[in-house]
Amino acid sequence: MITSLDKETSPSIILREFETIASLRYGEIVSQLPRDRAPIGFFCPYVPEEILHAVGAHPVRLMGGSIKISHAQAHLPPYCCHLVKSSLESLLQGELDFLKGVIFSQTCDSMQGLSDIWALQKRSPLHFNLMMPTHFDSEQSRIYLKEEIERFKEFLDSHIGKITSQNLRGSIQLFNSIRKTLREIYNRRRHRVALLPGGSFAKLIRAGYLMDRSRYLELLKELLGALDEKSEDPKNLVPIYITGNMVHSDSWCSLIEEAGAQLVQDDLCSGTRFFRLMIREDLDPIEGLTERYFNSFFCPTKYRGAQAHMETLVRDVQESGAKGVIFLLYKYCEAHFFDYPDLKIALESQGIPTLLLEMEDPSYSTGQLKVRIQAFAEMLNPI
Amino acid sequence: MPEDKLQTNPYHKIESTAAYRRLMAAYYFMAKKPSWFGKKVAWVTSGGPVEPLYAMGVLPFYPENYGAMCGASRMSVPLCEAAEHKGYSRDLCSYALIDIGSSLTGKGPLGKLPKPDFLVCGNNICGTVMKWYELQSRAFRVPVFFLDTPFVHDEIQCHTLKYVQGQMKDYVTFLERQLKRPFSEEKLRKVSFRSFEAIQLWKEILALSKNRPAPIASFDAFIHMAPIVTLRGTRWAVWYYRKLKQEIEERVKRGVGAFAREEIRLIWDNIPVWYDIRNLSKILSSQGAVLVADTYTSAWALDHLDLTDPLNRLAKAYATIHLNLGLEHKIKKMTNLVEQYGAHGFIMHSNRSCKSYSLGQADLKREVSRATGKPGLMIEADHTDSRSYGEKQVEKQIQIFLDIIKGKG
Repeated sequence: MITSLDKETSPSIILREFETIASLRYGEIVSQLPRDRAPIGFFCPYVPEEILHAVGAHPVRLMGGSIKISHAQAHLPPYCCHLVKSSLESLLQGELDFLKGVIFSQTCDSMQGLSDIWALQKRSPLHFNLMMPTHFDSEQSRIYLKEEIERFKEFLDSHIGKITSQNLRGSIQLFNSIRKTLREIYNRRRHRVALLPGGSFAKLIRAGYLMDRSRYLELLKELLGALDEKSEDPKNLVPIYITGNMVHSDSWCSLIEEAGAQLVQDDLCSGTRFFRLMIREDLDPIEGLTERYFNSFFCPTKYRGAQAHMETLVRDVQESGAKGVIFLLYKYCEAHFFDYPDLKIALESQGIPTLLLEMEDPSYSTGQLKVRIQAFAEMLNPI
Repeated sequence: MPEDKLQTNPYHKIESTAAYRRLMAAYYFMAKKPSWFGKKVAWVTSGGPVEPLYAMGVLPFYPENYGAMCGASRMSVPLCEAAEHKGYSRDLCSYALIDIGSSLTGKGPLGKLPKPDFLVCGNNICGTVMKWYELQSRAFRVPVFFLDTPFVHDEIQCHTLKYVQGQMKDYVTFLERQLKRPFSEEKLRKVSFRSFEAIQLWKEILALSKNRPAPIASFDAFIHMAPIVTLRGTRWAVWYYRKLKQEIEERVKRGVGAFAREEIRLIWDNIPVWYDIRNLSKILSSQGAVLVADTYTSAWALDHLDLTDPLNRLAKAYATIHLNLGLEHKIKKMTNLVEQYGAHGFIMHSNRSCKSYSLGQADLKREVSRATGKPGLMIEADHTDSRSYGEKQVEKQIQIFLDIIKGKG
């Protein structure tokens, strides 16, 4: 770990710290976590990390991973996604024993089922279900969500420590700054991919869900200042947009570049959706936390109107300048697969070609994926 | 056991089935020609609050029930394939695929279905229906009302109940807007009373199978549940279940079971395998095994139906139906069924089309066996899509399972 940062720091030193953390298995990560904070696992941006941070806990996002599934089959049917399977496997193998608790939020049927199975194993001392509303288009759901967030806060108050308004405001500012800085890095990279190769970029994102957040912000700011504007992009890379679930494997982003494409923008749960979580700092903190979920379309498990997903995606793709869109979907993800046919039609009617990649574990079958992305890139950019 | 005894176990046909057929034929006739009866049609999920619809004179149509009909008549595969051809994944719920396929092709047991006037979707049975109704509201260009009932992992919270009750008021406003006439609380009370009466009768009919021999098997209940789903709130459902109850009570008095021979009593978990009901029933009955209760048909046995304040009471009832409750509740319910119905074991259908029903079944099986000392069997299938169903494998599994139970006896 580097201890001090100065203007001379090269991006590679900063990136190495991200890479070290991002490449660790859950079981190995304890030594990298802040010692004075209780590590609490969560899966999804519908859990407000800010509250966990404000109570003095350390939020650890469980994004799935490459793990040999050997115990989870005894609890899960084959027809659920990799995130559900690999997370339960990590729990059953003892990889998550360091967690003091886990927070589930209401999203899809599989995560809902996983929560109950998880609780029954009695391996996490604390277990909380944050019951997000399913539609974000009514006053009723706004009132309900605010009360549900209050209930979450009370749970943490009584099990971990007291959350003061000042702490919560501080945590909101910290996470907003992380989002702002990360967005800036994203934007810079969009115009020049060589600033930050895909693999490193994916590790940087993953590290942000695991490491101490103050340290993370410090490193991001330093990196922003140290990016080499003179670096030259490889020629003929086709700008593409990725939408779908999430990418837990950093090799995936490298793969896209090796296949002759360049990821200019995404709508992934592990990517830019995070930026839409900005919180208004002038509001009461709980009010602000509630309001942010109503401000934009975020995830297909939720409803904001029958056209919301299509309109958001088409607009975002057009603004990104991407020539094509890759749907990167977890096998068995109903929420995404129900939306897919209409999204494909909406994009293609605007002249934007699409490619569907359905995956069990995104870190497998990379050779086959590369060939398909190569073919897609060639179709978009015939030489 | 002699071979000939294994082959024969006469089934006692339920006489009310003829009335059931006439009733459902009349319902589907109306659903096919709603304009002849001056009716607007709302497509509604099986767990959606139907009482306000009947109170407003709207005819509810249940795509899930229609999916079951397509499955039972073995017409589901080409409909699923039509939806897949449009880009929908084969891994999606086959009820939804059938509905999409039937909308696209106009095919199915009822042919081309009339366009709905609006949609009503309650996510108390799963999250799948929300996506399904969202896409159908785009396809038909009709409005959709969503009733959001947050899942109840342990106890329902006060603010959750308030949230659902608030939405029921929004639902009434939505209906008034769609139908351009005022809502009548008095009519709702009348419909709710009928709904409650039909539900009570249905609960009592199912409970009669605590008797030995069981007078009605779950395979019968899977068929005779259709009115409780589609006609709940009408006088027709009440009329029908009174008739059915009378017949089943008569059986109890005479000591007549659903089958001539009942040696093994079993409980069923999950939606039926619609396309293989007859075969599964034959396999079990040939061994003297009878499904005496299940978690599916009793899912419509709504509790909490107090009529002094129907809208708010309905909100609570719909927010706490079986599928919207957590695993601990499901363990208790299944354990109670095994104990109260004196079952020797239970069969669970791991249903690849229904994650909300199927995730947790492995732990459910372990916990129920631990609590009751009775064995459970898990079979893999899909409620209506027969393409990934291993019929012979399931038969073999059931045979071994029944041998284990006989060995224990």
